[in-house]
Amino acid sequence: MVWLRIIAAYAAVLALALTLNFALPRMAPGDPLAFLLPEDVLAEMTPAEKDRVLAEFGLDDPVAVQFAAYVGGVVTGDLGTSTRYGAPVWDVVAGRLPWTLLLMGWALALSAALGTALGVAAARSRGEMSDIGTTVLVLALGSAPVFWVAMLLITLFSAKLGWLPSFGAAPLMAIPGTWGYVAGVAERLIMPVTALTIAQTAGVWLTARSAMAVALSRDYVTVARAKGVPERAVFWRHALRNAMLPIYTNVAIGLGALLGGALVVETVFSWPGIGQLVVQGVEARDYNLLQGVFLVATLSVLAANLLSDLTYPFIDPRVRR
Amino acid sequence: MARSAPLALTLSLMTAVAAGPALAQSLAPGESGNRLEPARYVSEAVNDGPKAADRLTLGMWVAAGNVTTYTIGNSWNDWVLWLVYDKLREPSPYVGNSQDWLATRVEQVSDDARVWEIALRDGITWHDGTPFTAEDVAFTFEYYREGPPNRWTHHASSVPRMVGIEVVDRLTVRLTAEKPMPNFDRITAADLPIIQKAQWEGVEEPRSFEELPVGTGPYRLVAYEADRFYRFEANEDYWKGAPVVKNLDLVMIKDPQTMFTALKTGEIDGAARPVPPELVREWRDDPDLEMISAPTLWGAWLDLNVQRPPFDDRELRRAVTLAVDTAPMLERVMLGQGKPGTHSWPHVDSFWTKPDLHAGYDPASAAAILDAEGYVDADGDGTRDYPDGSPLTLDLKVASNQPLFLRAAEMVDAQLAEVGLRVDVESVDPGTLAALWRGGDFNLRIADITPHGIADQDMLIILYRGDRGREPTVDEEKAAIVERWLDAETREERLAISYELQEYQTRYPNRVMLWYPESTFAYRWESFDAYVPSAGYGIFHKYSFLPQEVREAIADPMLPAGQ
Repeated sequence: MVWLRIIAAYAAVLALALTLNFALPRMAPGDPLAFLLPEDVLAEMTPAEKDRVLAEFGLDDPVAVQFAAYVGGVVTGDLGTSTRYGAPVWDVVAGRLPWTLLLMGWALALSAALGTALGVAAARSRGEMSDIGTTVLVLALGSAPVFWVAMLLITLFSAKLGWLPSFGAAPLMAIPGTWGYVAGVAERLIMPVTALTIAQTAGVWLTARSAMAVALSRDYVTVARAKGVPERAVFWRHALRNAMLPIYTNVAIGLGALLGGALVVETVFSWPGIGQLVVQGVEARDYNLLQGVFLVATLSVLAANLLSDLTYPFIDPRVRR
Repeated sequence: MARSAPLALTLSLMTAVAAGPALAQSLAPGESGNRLEPARYVSEAVNDGPKAADRLTLGMWVAAGNVTTYTIGNSWNDWVLWLVYDKLREPSPYVGNSQDWLATRVEQVSDDARVWEIALRDGITWHDGTPFTAEDVAFTFEYYREGPPNRWTHHASSVPRMVGIEVVDRLTVRLTAEKPMPNFDRITAADLPIIQKAQWEGVEEPRSFEELPVGTGPYRLVAYEADRFYRFEANEDYWKGAPVVKNLDLVMIKDPQTMFTALKTGEIDGAARPVPPELVREWRDDPDLEMISAPTLWGAWLDLNVQRPPFDDRELRRAVTLAVDTAPMLERVMLGQGKPGTHSWPHVDSFWTKPDLHAGYDPASAAAILDAEGYVDADGDGTRDYPDGSPLTLDLKVASNQPLFLRAAEMVDAQLAEVGLRVDVESVDPGTLAALWRGGDFNLRIADITPHGIADQDMLIILYRGDRGREPTVDEEKAAIVERWLDAETREERLAISYELQEYQTRYPNRVMLWYPESTFAYRWESFDAYVPSAGYGIFHKYSFLPQEVREAIADPMLPAGQ
């Protein structure tokens, strides 16, 4: 029954998200036409001619018809045609998604590992100079705008030192699958992943530090110590296992924030992911494209949360009751 | 390769000397006498790098889709289209003296300039190997007249509108227009890309057309990935000779800082966007980079919304143009790199701009006009009100991604305050600004204007004629001038009437030109060093990659450093 309730709740959220994905782009001032044609062409066109252009993308129908087509398209996998790219939205998104997953996957894993390790270490040395120093550093880095961090990295590692390429996701001339290609991608991943990881680590770190501090102050830790359990075992088996629960939740929820960061980072590094598609879509008021990208983002965040919810009972037996 | 090469200097000087007589020659019919200033090296030293390359990587920042006339819509990226497509005449409508290209003859055959005959070059093939014929030219005009609109279709659908498109024989086309088109050879023929009938026939939704373009130009687009790269290969069979750069890769870099960092580090060989004013100073003596200031015919202007009060009152527009001082704006916003705005329209260096056209800066006269028209401070709050006593506040909208425009807006605000006009500056995202423009929901706006909009004589009429529904029909005087322009049968008559329109626009503007930027382009000279300037396009365009004799025959004059 727990599973059913969870799935029903997610279905409701998905329905709401689909509606918002459709409505939000249309609520912004402007429409795709202004970006399809230059001002002088627009100024001369009759309403019928404008409708004809919009009809190429299925945007001349009443809003209700467009919404029905959108929902139907989500089910059938036809997300319409992007006005910005002139290609099926799904093709455009599918071409970009692997790049974003690669970027976010690394950033998620690194920020989770780094944030947890640093947070746990900080909890252990709470109040000491090392803890205060780490707190200041992590919070300062975490508060820095991600685009600024990205630009600093480019300035240092590309412009000054010349160590890393400043843009793109893969070397242009390398053949996919070859060692040169993989190495080129890895090289280009370093700065965007670092920028995203820095932005994401602070949240995990704060949660880990706080959760670990709380866990260490709990009665079961006192009891364990009273029973003579070695300090190492108290720390790892009793405190950390309990502290992992909020950390786990935080990392899963952080996926949404990570997507927001990717949007900025991909633009700065000319990284061809779906974050850039959002920027392009918003600039061009490309309704179909935005619906498609938002759908993928919605599904990703929901899937991560669903996975977190579904797996939580395995981590925390109390939830199973 | 020498750091400062006497050879390059000598060549440049020879070019400049050779250009001298051309600049001094008597005026061609329909020309004002205005001339573009020659391009010049901005770098401290002029180098002598390679004049050919196997591969060149350039950074671009505005996507061009699959490089068709429906995915390119403005002067930001039309140079990419010209790599693939040719025109009847080249290089552009902005030079006044374009030369035959796909055509061998573009001839007026009726006294009223409505009928023109075009003889086409024999032996030219499309990239797929099929022959280029009159059918393709006729189809281009038909498709642009009847099909979905794009930035070029007005050449067949409105100014001028073609009423007769006739294939005379395999290499001859005859065109008849509704109204005279005395400048067909120098505007339409030099701007309209010729598309292949076989590829486009039957294409009803060109913006969703996903095939790679087939052109007659010096490059074939062989691969592209949206927002990542474009890969072009030289068309070895190009009738003007095989391009000297064999492989051309264009990589998409939207962020300007990233673009110029990539150029500095050598990841790209050239940046196809103007260098920001502050970087120009920093890079002047960089040994790896060369910079050329080339005429691009761009402008930034203050757009006055004439569709609604208060700017439907032309006297108020007159007062505003007298109250705006563009000289300090150029100094503070553009760090002096460019020219201050002088009048409403067209570009100050365009060959058909009326000489000495100048709106002038005269705040005292502006205040006097406002007083005379009843725009006085009725409620004593320190700013002027409408003649009926209601408060007069002008909103000024600027796109949030244009920091230079925001600075200019603040200066406009301060300058109009000097004559008692109150302005509220608001920064909005580009999409919102476009919506406000389309809906006419603004008083003032600062925007870019590209060569196509500011240096093409036909566009003056398209943008300002009275029948488009958006312009004030109250300006009957202007509408009458436009009608006479449309009926003018000779270049001279057109130019004379255009002068009237320019004077009218300067006196009662719906756009006040703020500045004409000096566009400086940077490249790594050790990768390739044969760039030439072309009016309206800068230095990154197909003419830079053609064989030397072709390149030099079609390029604008070029001056050495320091001139």
